[in-house]
Amino acid sequence: MKRLLVLVALAVIGVTLLYGIGKMPPMDSRASPDKTHVVPRYLGHGEEEAGAKNIITGVILNYRGYDTMGEVSVIFSALCAVIAILDREKKGRSRSGVDASRVRTSLIVTTVVRFSLPVVMLFAVYTMLHGEPSPGGGFQGGAIVGASIILFTIVFGLAVSTKRIPPGARVPMESVNMLGFLSMGFIGLAFGVQFLTYILPGLGVAAAETVRKLMLDVIELGIGIGGGIIFISIVFSMIREDRYELQQDVP
Amino acid sequence: MNWTVNLLLMLFLLATAVVAITLKDLLAAVVVFSAYSLMMAMLWTQLRAPDLALTEAAVGAGVTTVLFIIVVYRTVRREDR
Repeated sequence: MKRLLVLVALAVIGVTLLYGIGKMPPMDSRASPDKTHVVPRYLGHGEEEAGAKNIITGVILNYRGYDTMGEVSVIFSALCAVIAILDREKKGRSRSGVDASRVRTSLIVTTVVRFSLPVVMLFAVYTMLHGEPSPGGGFQGGAIVGASIILFTIVFGLAVSTKRIPPGARVPMESVNMLGFLSMGFIGLAFGVQFLTYILPGLGVAAAETVRKLMLDVIELGIGIGGGIIFISIVFSMIREDRYELQQDVP
Repeated sequence: MNWTVNLLLMLFLLATAVVAITLKDLLAAVVVFSAYSLMMAMLWTQLRAPDLALTEAAVGAGVTTVLFIIVVYRTVRREDR
């Protein structure tokens, strides 16, 4: 009986969805609304409306700015959940498996990480700052920063990296992405235009251009640094093992 | 030339996806899943979505792999218990 009900419900949902698909314009057809309205608007007016040379950045930061704001708050709340359940690492007491291991890390691995980390970091900063005219952007750059620090942590151990990047330095930077995004959004309201507008009225052409670039850079750097630090904090609190737990393992 | 590369990438993508869900060993499955993400990143560049390719390579192949490995490291094999 239960199975029959499930089957009927699924069949009803499936038929409804298929009926909806039948009403949709065929895929890739020129008559579909996204081809007639969305694409011409984005490609034709994207630069002067959204204020970014790269249309994708314009869509992410302006046309669908609320969506990006939601994503930024999603990774922030992910960090909150991880911290609430697993707690932060403790200074001088938390370590990871690499610190506790009696086998030393291979010289090849440590040398390769030492040489590649600065290059990876440079690429991450480039990705963040060039998000406006070229592919990339804050989130991608932040993920690369996070991945590089995580690589450092799994090779050199949590004790070393938590000494280099202590919680006291990370906590203020974890909210930088939301704060930067919201404050840049409210600048638009202060000038009497919509939330998240980058081309402000009432300034000269040159001044408006400078302000637009500065605002976009602040947003990209904020999303990048905040996102990267959030990734790092999540991994640190997942990887940590406190010293008193480890002593039980050693006979 | 282009479509052969795409076909190879897609076949490899399909193979890694199937292997990742059929493997019994979780660590091996995570590694194969990372390879899946790398293939996906290359396909994104083929589809002219470099933004997504960067995200997929950094998050999919990098960060989530480490997170999965940490979680696998914290679990116990059922046979060993």
